[in-house]
Amino acid sequence: MIKSIKIGALAAAGAIALAACSGSSGSSSLVVGTDLPLQGASADASTATNNAVALYLEQQGGKAGSYTVTIKQYDNSTAAKGAWDDAQCAKNAQDHVANAAEVAVMGTYNSGCAKIELPVLNQDPTGPMLMVSHANTNPGLTVAWDPGEPEKFYPSGVRNYARVIPNDIYQGTADAQFAFQDRKVTKCAVLNDTQTYGQGIAKAFADEFAKQGGTVVINEGWDAKQPSYTALFQKIKAAGADCVFFGGIYDNNGGQLMKDSVAVLGDNKTFFKMAPDGFSGYPDLQGMPEGEGLYMSFAGKSLNGMVKAGGNGGKFIADYKTKYGVDPASSYSIYGASAMQIIMKAIAASDGTRKGVNAALLGGSTPVCLTDAESITGVGFCIDPATGDVDKKSVTIQTMTGGAETDLQVWDIK
Amino acid sequence: MAKGAKLRKEKQSVAVSGESLAQQSSSQNRRWTRGFIIAVVLIYVINKFYIPVAPMQVKVAFNTWLSLTSMGEIMVFILMALGLNIVVGYAGLLDLGYVAFWALGGYVAGWLMSGFFDQVTFKFGGNPAKGLPHGIHLNVFLVLIAGGIFTAIWGVIIGAPTLRLKSDYLALVTLGFGEIIPQFMVNGENIGGFNMTNGSKGINPVDNIKIFGFEFGPFALADKFLLYAALAGMMIFLSLRLRDGRLGRAWLAIREDELAASMMGVPLMRTKLASYAVGATAGGVGGVAFATLIGGVYAERFNFQISIIILSMVVLGGMGNVWGVMLGATLLAWINNTGLVQIGKIFNAATGMNVDFPSFNFLIFGVLLVLMMLFRREGFIPEARVRLIMHEDEFADVSNVTDQIKLEGHHHHESH
Repeated sequence: MIKSIKIGALAAAGAIALAACSGSSGSSSLVVGTDLPLQGASADASTATNNAVALYLEQQGGKAGSYTVTIKQYDNSTAAKGAWDDAQCAKNAQDHVANAAEVAVMGTYNSGCAKIELPVLNQDPTGPMLMVSHANTNPGLTVAWDPGEPEKFYPSGVRNYARVIPNDIYQGTADAQFAFQDRKVTKCAVLNDTQTYGQGIAKAFADEFAKQGGTVVINEGWDAKQPSYTALFQKIKAAGADCVFFGGIYDNNGGQLMKDSVAVLGDNKTFFKMAPDGFSGYPDLQGMPEGEGLYMSFAGKSLNGMVKAGGNGGKFIADYKTKYGVDPASSYSIYGASAMQIIMKAIAASDGTRKGVNAALLGGSTPVCLTDAESITGVGFCIDPATGDVDKKSVTIQTMTGGAETDLQVWDIK
Repeated sequence: MAKGAKLRKEKQSVAVSGESLAQQSSSQNRRWTRGFIIAVVLIYVINKFYIPVAPMQVKVAFNTWLSLTSMGEIMVFILMALGLNIVVGYAGLLDLGYVAFWALGGYVAGWLMSGFFDQVTFKFGGNPAKGLPHGIHLNVFLVLIAGGIFTAIWGVIIGAPTLRLKSDYLALVTLGFGEIIPQFMVNGENIGGFNMTNGSKGINPVDNIKIFGFEFGPFALADKFLLYAALAGMMIFLSLRLRDGRLGRAWLAIREDELAASMMGVPLMRTKLASYAVGATAGGVGGVAFATLIGGVYAERFNFQISIIILSMVVLGGMGNVWGVMLGATLLAWINNTGLVQIGKIFNAATGMNVDFPSFNFLIFGVLLVLMMLFRREGFIPEARVRLIMHEDEFADVSNVTDQIKLEGHHHHESH
């Protein structure tokens, strides 16, 4: 009896040791998880991103250095909510860590979801596990922003997060510089939709606009549930503003906001109005006469911009269309492939463990870079190992012309 | 003639089973309690000791069908559904805004066990992350108690003016509060310059749980599950004991006939407020537990739909019956977080179709509720009393039903 217990214990110990081994030593077949909202309003953009990532991997023959890489798709939304869900994000983070073959995560789309998953991935006992986002723009994930940020997302003290698009500080800053320097406006009303993204970008805009020498005459939130904003724009008019900045996303009653702003302040050609990328890609807005002449911006390059520039970006978009029969739904999908590219580069340079993959991208003191010729978007960039932020800070400025978002220029922050 | 005979027979069978209702219910309680404890221990042991060394297929199967995160979520839902059961099932007060208490409890966790209030640095048995001492960091047990007390107070504050209303009017006002409190959380970022709730950004991360020097981080899911199961178990115990006690019988009396109850000397307001406070406490404790489960609090979660889902758990399971509500909560929570998606995948794989099951969630839900109301109004496991009342029309005379209830009450007394 005692003997059999001993044997049992030995077997159990052996099994645990084996399990531990398979977790710590690198295997040649690795998994990268994509973590996106596959249901609800962002479903199209997410599907396109998964497609672009799959296409990129296929073009690489599924190889990163000596490792074979496959993709596992995770959904961080629920049908009931039609958007990312906090409990689902928490569960996904657990699942990434539980999947022994998985070494890195491509995602998330929403900064709020990243803020839930990041501390979990960071505390992975075999990690930390690397996460590279193609779409998170909230500054707090990488640099000091709200109290406790970004340290609170990295309880282990080691950084494990990077992103391939500039954060909201850069977009807000570029928009403010463009407004003040190029459009020569001096008195701006800065509005926000009271959400994470909107508040962040509005704050960045207001800070930079004041720094440039302009005056922020009004700085307040708009309530997405209000039926009319006439009073708000009357107030802005009375304050003598010559510019309005809409910090937020179009979903938050942006249509009504546009209509009322035009009704009170005049059309966008005579009165300067600008919105960040939270307003881009909405057919509603594009089809609306009140949208005409609105200035918009986009962190990184737009799809059109990439196609026009030719190079890798244009070619990849063409390949995408050949394979899937449609154009990618948003340029974020191409940045998804770009995030995958930098993850693959880190895997190739690593020992195949989670810790190794993370260290290959963020562990050194010299930044990991892709040249223009290498980068799938056609624009080379480096990841700063100290913050995980990208060094390319170009922001595309667009105007709404004839119902289409038309590139005006690429603004490099001065 | 035949029909009359049938009725008589039914009457007899009800009467026969009725004689032993009290014993039946206490032995039923014992059986269910045993079952609950065995299930919890089994889930814990399997996940803690077997799953880490199990073959890959077993691991994947468990993770897709019975993942520990969803198990923890189920326990929290049981806790909250039982809380609502006290208000709706025991006292018969329709509450459509129960999510408000979940929200309040969640924010108590956000306030008392995270770095959110970085103006202060206060630690009492808490577990701040390394190098981030700012904020308030209390021990999780203290936070659970604080969450319970805080929501109980709010339950009374909300209840005092509203509980004078009856039926539909009460439902509407609770619905209002269920909307107001989460909305306040969304807008509470700047209250005279003071950031109380961090708006739609929510509060995260919430500290890892630390009990007696053992830290339960994000991967100690099995241990956390045990904590949530213990909380649910406590609520089960409380519900069973309260029901048999003076307060519980007063609640049932109000539920059956408010006027009669007040004539018999039941203080209506005080009794109703007590049910509201106990229900709110469970919601608050559940809110704290959920915040530690997902590691944060988000205002957007607290929508009307959650109130309805928890109410459905109570109705579907069997209003007033602790075990029925537990079953209802387990089933609906599981369907919501795992079942629909997985069943959909199997269905699609088998039929080659591409039906997005989760997006039909409300349709399935609605059909299920309609069917239940048509064929089994009293819920999966009905309370004896409710069953008798629901099938009142099947008995020739009402006096029989009252006899049953008397009999049951009599036995209850005897058993004390």
